[in-house]
Amino acid sequence: MKFKNLTAVLMTAVMTLGMVGCGSTAPEAPAAEAPAQTESPAAEAPAAEAEAPAETTEATGPVEITVTTTFAGEDSNAQNYKNAVADWEAATGNTVSDTSATSDETFKTRIITDFETGSEPDVLFFFNGADANDFVNAGKVVSIDDIRVEFPEYASNMNDDLIAASPADGKKYAVPVNGYWEAMFVNTEVLDAAGVEVPGADYTWDQFLEDCQKIKDAGYAPIAAALGNIPHYWWEFAIFNQQTPDNHLDIPGAADDATGAQWVAGLEDIKDLYEKGFFPDNTLSATDDETFAMFTDGKAAFLLDGSWKVGGIVGSCQSDPEDPSTIDADKLSHFDVTYFPGKGNRKTTDMIGGLSMGYYITTKAWEDPDKKAAAVSFVEHMTSDEVVPLFAQHTASALKNAPAVDETQFNALQVKAMSMMSGVTSLTGAVQDLFNGDCRVSTFDGMPDIVVGNVSAADAVQEGIDVYKDTLE
Amino acid sequence: MSNIYKSKKYVFLFLAPAFLFMIIYLYYPFFVNIYGSFRGIKNLGTFGTKWNTPWYENYVKLVTDPVVRTSLKNTFIMIIATIVGQVGIALLLAILVDNIERGTQFFRTVYFFPIVISATALGLLFNLIFLYDKGMLNQFLELFGRTELIDWKGEKLAIMTMMIPVVWQYVGFYFVILQTGLNNISQELYESAAIDGATRFQRVWYISLPLLRNVLCTCLTLGVTGALKVFDLPWTMFPKGMPLKETFLTGTYMYYQTMEAKNVDYGATLAVLIVVLGVVLSRLTRLVFKESEDF
Repeated sequence: MKFKNLTAVLMTAVMTLGMVGCGSTAPEAPAAEAPAQTESPAAEAPAAEAEAPAETTEATGPVEITVTTTFAGEDSNAQNYKNAVADWEAATGNTVSDTSATSDETFKTRIITDFETGSEPDVLFFFNGADANDFVNAGKVVSIDDIRVEFPEYASNMNDDLIAASPADGKKYAVPVNGYWEAMFVNTEVLDAAGVEVPGADYTWDQFLEDCQKIKDAGYAPIAAALGNIPHYWWEFAIFNQQTPDNHLDIPGAADDATGAQWVAGLEDIKDLYEKGFFPDNTLSATDDETFAMFTDGKAAFLLDGSWKVGGIVGSCQSDPEDPSTIDADKLSHFDVTYFPGKGNRKTTDMIGGLSMGYYITTKAWEDPDKKAAAVSFVEHMTSDEVVPLFAQHTASALKNAPAVDETQFNALQVKAMSMMSGVTSLTGAVQDLFNGDCRVSTFDGMPDIVVGNVSAADAVQEGIDVYKDTLE
Repeated sequence: MSNIYKSKKYVFLFLAPAFLFMIIYLYYPFFVNIYGSFRGIKNLGTFGTKWNTPWYENYVKLVTDPVVRTSLKNTFIMIIATIVGQVGIALLLAILVDNIERGTQFFRTVYFFPIVISATALGLLFNLIFLYDKGMLNQFLELFGRTELIDWKGEKLAIMTMMIPVVWQYVGFYFVILQTGLNNISQELYESAAIDGATRFQRVWYISLPLLRNVLCTCLTLGVTGALKVFDLPWTMFPKGMPLKETFLTGTYMYYQTMEAKNVDYGATLAVLIVVLGVVLSRLTRLVFKESEDF
């Protein structure tokens, strides 16, 4: 009798504890407990053991590290990344659990949320601008200087002056790989059909409007862009067109101050293009992939995008996107890349670009004795003198000893990109990298409402500025 | 020996784990969520650093936000689509299948199959069907001579395009429930009616439907409350309420504000609205679709 009572009580207690135990696996708990677990043995361990943390970590068996990058989808370096990871895995015996994805606002939000909920990766290739402020401020990534205390050779092949400091605290965290530029890709087959010349270094906004009208009259979509999905590049250049490289990185204090008025004017230029019917009919409901396919299929003439899209365009000309030998050279010859049309004081050859991303090592990996050395080794491999040139191709890098570019290895579009870059008069960073995520919502997600007139450009800009000011408090 | 069964305290003892579970994972987060709706929160996992000014700011915004009105409207359309589309079509199919002698199991499997496919996969599948350029539907229309492409996901058709896959996915679920209900009706009733000269329609109208009333009520209650929780398929097909925030449901708008716009406190306010809506609608549903004890 008593035994049965006791059994019932014990079973209930076990079930209750089991459920409460489940609660202790909530996302934040391990993050909070992890440092204590890793730090306490070090504090209590004999001095001899405490002095050799690197050896201890290297002595452990193969480990799996989680890595997230933007080398995925249409990115030029998606295949290079896979190859480099495979090489590192083969050389070290470690493995990579990769969660790379195409870079867009959803990706950025996912990363920030992962940090907030304690499920960040061990190594991260991410933006070095204001988008990283939250996790930098939270101390969830390790600075290059801190890593060098223990691993003096870390990123020593990089020119430190070219490594961007975090706007959050001025420290350097992200080891860069390849630079980027943003420019206007052109489908010359469409231009030929519409009787339009390929734009050059003196191409103006007015000429662009005239050409768009001709292309539209010929039955093509002048601009391949999904304003409801990825308005980023148009946002950046439309604002840049109201400014100069000297003041492009200024953040407005209000929609009606000088910089604010430039932002508003830029957004109204996009609205004008929309009203003239220069974007695809489904620009508000399409995804970026859909409009990109329109461009590569010869249904749209211009595509404003980044250097990473070169690989996507080349891939679309291959019968097997992963095998460069299957390229259709004739199809690729119909693509070109040129400068965004200039307006006002911005020269056509003033471009957006730089080194905006890099490899971070998270505090979680750094404080894990099993993963610390592996994470450092991974970043050192991915940013080595051998790997970086493969990624940089026709863009810049921060290497101290960057090898001379061998154009004979390039495809036709990469050669055209190199030619365009040789005429650049300035390379300015993207102001959207300083105007972080939440602030951009009213003008990025709100772009469809702006172009159809549901919301005025001034109101949308002011809303973004208000959020920006809020984040500074 | 018998005390253990008579004593009520053991009942409470066994109820305790589930009760604790509910407290920790449902009621505590719910009250924390209400608290959060009055705070200024930018990041998940925190309570923010300050109170909103005024503290009820988000609730004022809730009333004035046009997107909330759109999402409420869409949610009610979704409820109607559930009642008419999911339960209605499922009832029709169940009655038809009940009237055939062979292949019942085959149709059960066929209609139920969409339920086992992930909603995200279905969303991607329907994205290809409704694609503007080279989508399956537009290619079919081209075959029939149509020269202009239809933007199925555009402003005019977006809601319909969003509802079709959701309705299609769950028809099988209600079909199986209703079919089971029909199987429980004694064949003798149908045979007697047939002998009395009742047509097939009369047998359905005067026997099947009245005896299926309680099962139908259960299906409708499940449908209405389920419609409030639809999330993954609409979000996959129409992320961020595309186009022009016209396709937001209450759930997708809450997610957008919390995870995408990083307006966590406003997301919490929308969550409160969803709970209130859920409670009110489930009470209403129970009143309207009250089960009868006659059957």
